[in-house]
Amino acid sequence: MADGNENWTCGKCGAALEKKKTVFSYLGRSFTHDVDVCPVCGAVRIPRELAEGRMAEVEEQLEDK
Amino acid sequence: MERINLTKLQSEDVTSKAASCVAGAPPPCARECPFGLDTRSFAARAENGRWQAAYKTYRDAVVFPEIVSRLCPAPCDGACPRADSGGTVNLRGIERTAVAQARDKRRDSYAIPQKAGSAAVVGAGPSGLSAALSLVSKRYSVTVFERETAWGGSLRGLPEFDIFDAEFALSFARLDARFEFGREISSLAELDGFGAVYLATGAGGEDFGLLRGFDPALLTTPESRVFLGGGLAGAELMTSISHGRLASRSIEAYLQVGRVSPAAGASCALTPDTSLAIPSPRVVPSDASGEYTDGEARAEASRCLKCDCDICARGCEMLRRFHKLPMKIAMEVFTDIRANPPYSSHTITREAYSCNNCGHCKRNCPESIDVGELLRFSRRARVEAGSAPPALHDFWLREMRFSSGDAGFYSPCNEKGTCEYVFFPGCQLGAYDPRHVLRSFSALRSVYDTGIFLGCCGAPAYWAGEDDMLEASSAAIRAAWDALGEPVFVFACPTCASLFAELFPEIEGLSLYELLLASGAAPAPPKRMSAAVFDPCSAASDEGVRAAVRAIAERAGAELTELPETGKCCGYGGHMMLANPSLYGEITESRASASELPYIVYCANCRAVFASRGKECIHALDAAFDLSPAPIADIDTRRRNSLEVKRLITREFSTDDAENSPLPAPWDDIRLTIAPETAERADRKLISLSDIREALYLARETGGFFAAPSGVRQCSMIRPALVYWVTYKPTDDGGFEVLDAYYHRMKFGGGETDG
Repeated sequence: MADGNENWTCGKCGAALEKKKTVFSYLGRSFTHDVDVCPVCGAVRIPRELAEGRMAEVEEQLEDK
Repeated sequence: MERINLTKLQSEDVTSKAASCVAGAPPPCARECPFGLDTRSFAARAENGRWQAAYKTYRDAVVFPEIVSRLCPAPCDGACPRADSGGTVNLRGIERTAVAQARDKRRDSYAIPQKAGSAAVVGAGPSGLSAALSLVSKRYSVTVFERETAWGGSLRGLPEFDIFDAEFALSFARLDARFEFGREISSLAELDGFGAVYLATGAGGEDFGLLRGFDPALLTTPESRVFLGGGLAGAELMTSISHGRLASRSIEAYLQVGRVSPAAGASCALTPDTSLAIPSPRVVPSDASGEYTDGEARAEASRCLKCDCDICARGCEMLRRFHKLPMKIAMEVFTDIRANPPYSSHTITREAYSCNNCGHCKRNCPESIDVGELLRFSRRARVEAGSAPPALHDFWLREMRFSSGDAGFYSPCNEKGTCEYVFFPGCQLGAYDPRHVLRSFSALRSVYDTGIFLGCCGAPAYWAGEDDMLEASSAAIRAAWDALGEPVFVFACPTCASLFAELFPEIEGLSLYELLLASGAAPAPPKRMSAAVFDPCSAASDEGVRAAVRAIAERAGAELTELPETGKCCGYGGHMMLANPSLYGEITESRASASELPYIVYCANCRAVFASRGKECIHALDAAFDLSPAPIADIDTRRRNSLEVKRLITREFSTDDAENSPLPAPWDDIRLTIAPETAERADRKLISLSDIREALYLARETGGFFAAPSGVRQCSMIRPALVYWVTYKPTDDGGFEVLDAYYHRMKFGGGETDG
C-alpha cells in the first residue's frame, strides 16, 4: 500500500504534515529520525515502509543488545 | 514452581543445569594418550593439510615430536571407536606426516620477563629435558646436571639418536638453560641454592631416599622442594616425557605459592556416537617406508570421527543455527540477567526467544540436559528483571486472558455440583472447530459423569516466562478443580496434559483419545486413506496417547505409515514465531515435508501450522467423528468460535448465561470491508479485525487520523507492546474499507506513550 507520495494532513488540525526530527524509544534506548508530524498538535505518522523496514530492523537490533 | 530471586541468583544456579554436558570432553583416544593430545583439533588440522598448525598442536602436547611420533606405542589406537567401521584411525602415521611436513620447527620465543625462582634438574634424559624445557620456557632459571658427558639418557644408543639429538638442540637453541655435563650429584645439599629440584635420574637411578612417599599424581616427595619422575619412578618412555611437563607445573606452583594442589577433577566421559560413521578402510601407505604421503595422511585424518557430543544440536534447528554449546548457553543466560544496556549488552535474547521448548534436547541428551528449560529460565528472569521484549509474546498473552476470561467457564454440568471427570479441551480446540469440543463432550458424557472446563492451561504465560500470570492462572485452575470436587481432567491437547503434569502433580489427568477408545464411543464408518500421524512434541513421553490416536485413526480406516522421527515440535511451541520468523519458517517447512502423506494430528496448533504451509492435514477428532475438516479459522473466527462453544454449553446446561457472557465492545458493530488478501496478511501478522475495529473506533471518536487528498486515511492505536496502524477509506454506509494494517514495536515521542 504505497502511501509515501500523498500530501497528508492532520485530521484533527487540518494542517499539512511536515518532516520533523522525532524521538523514538524502545527497550530503554532512544534515538531520533525524520518523520511526518503535524506542526500544530505534534501527531506522528508512520508509513508501512518505515514500520516494516528500517524500524523493524532497528527493533531487532535493540532486542539483541 | 520456585520463583527466581534475582538478587540472590549465583552463576552456579544456572550453570549447574548444564554442568554434566560432555560436549568438548576428551574423546576416548585422547583419554588414553599419555600427553592428553587434543586429537580432534590435530586431526582436523591434518585433514585440511594445515601441517604447520597440526605440528604445533602436536608439539605443544608431546614436547618432543620426533621422539614421540617414532617411539610411542600408540595406546590411542585401542580406544578408537572407528574399529568397527573400517579400522582404527592411524593417528601415529598422521603424526609422522605432521613432523615431516612442518616447515618451521623452531619454538616460538615470547618476550616474557625472567621470573624469580630457580630449579635444578638432575638427569638430562627425556624426562629431565622435558621438565627443563618447560620450566625455562616459562622463564625460570634452570640448571640441568648430568653425570654423563651429553644429554639423551636412555635414548642414547638407539639407531635414531642423531635425530633426537638434533631435536634437543633445536628445542633449547633459543633458551638459556644451563647444562653441567659430567657432574654427578651425590647429595641434595649440593642443590641447596635452588628453589626446587626435579630428580630424573632414570630407571634405578639415585632417588636420595625419596622414592618412598612419592606421589605419582603430582610428582611430589616427602621433601617439599624436591620432585621426581620418569624412569626413576618406574615410568616408560612416553610417560617419562609427560612427567617432565607435570613436574614443571608442580614446580611452578611450588615456587609461586609454596605448595602444590591437586588438579581439577577429570571432565565428564564422552561416549562417542558412531551411528553416523560411514565405513571406510584405513589408508595404507603406498611408500615402502611405511610413511604416508601428504594426501594419504589427509585422507586418513578425514576418517577420524572427531568424536564429540552434539546430539542436542543434531536434533534441533535452533541449536544448529546459533551454534552454542549448552554450557556456553548456560553462562550467557546468567550474564544476560546481569546485562545493563547500554553499558553492557544482552547476548542471548534471540536464542532464548527462538526455542520451541519442545523438550527434544532433554529427551535425547545422554545427561538429560534441558537446554529449553535453560532458555525458558532466561525468559522468566528477563520478565522478572523488567527487560523482556514485550512484543514477542503480547499476542498470545492477550489470547490467554481472553480464553480464561470472556471465553472461560467451568461447570459440573449436573445437579449434584461435582463431577467425576472434567473435560478440558484447551483454548484452541474449539477455537478452530467447535464441533471437536461439542462432539467429544457429548461422547464423554454418554459414558462418564463429565463436567466442562473451558479455559487456558497457562502455556502462553509459561512460554513467555510470565510467572505472575502463570501463578494467577494456576490458582484459578486449582480453585475450579476444588469446586468441582477434584475430578480427573480429560485433555484433548497434549500441551495442556504435559503442562498440568508439571504444574499440578496432584491433579489426575487422562487423554481424551484414550477415553474415547476405551469407552467405545464415536465409532465412525471406515474410510480408506493413507496417512502419517504427526505426534506433537508434548506427547513425546506419553505412549498411551500416541497409541490411542493411532488406534482411532486406524478404526476410521487410515493406513498409517510412521514418520522417520517423532517428538519434534511443529514450530508452534514456545511461541517463537515473532522472535525468529525465518527459523520458524525453516522448522515448519521441515516438519511439513517429512512425508508426502497427509498428516493426522491431535494438537489444534499443529494443524494450523501445517495448513499454513499448504500441507494436507486433519485432526484425529475429524477421523473419530467422521467430520469433514473445517477450514483454518482466522483470529476473529477463533474468538467467535470460543464464545460460541461457551454459549452452546451454558445454554444446554441452563447455567447463568448473562453472568458468563462478555459485554459487547463499542467497536463490535463497526462495518468493515476488507479484501481477502489484506485480511490474510493482517491475520498472518497476528492483527485481528477486532484490533482494526478498535483503532477505527478511536479515530472516529477522537478525530485522531491523517487524511490524503485521495480520500485515504490513516489512524493509529498505541498499545503497551505495539503501535497499530490502519490505512482505510470511510464508506458511504458509515463503515470503513480497510486497505492495510501494520504495526511497529517502538514508541515515538520519547516519553511514556503507553495507551
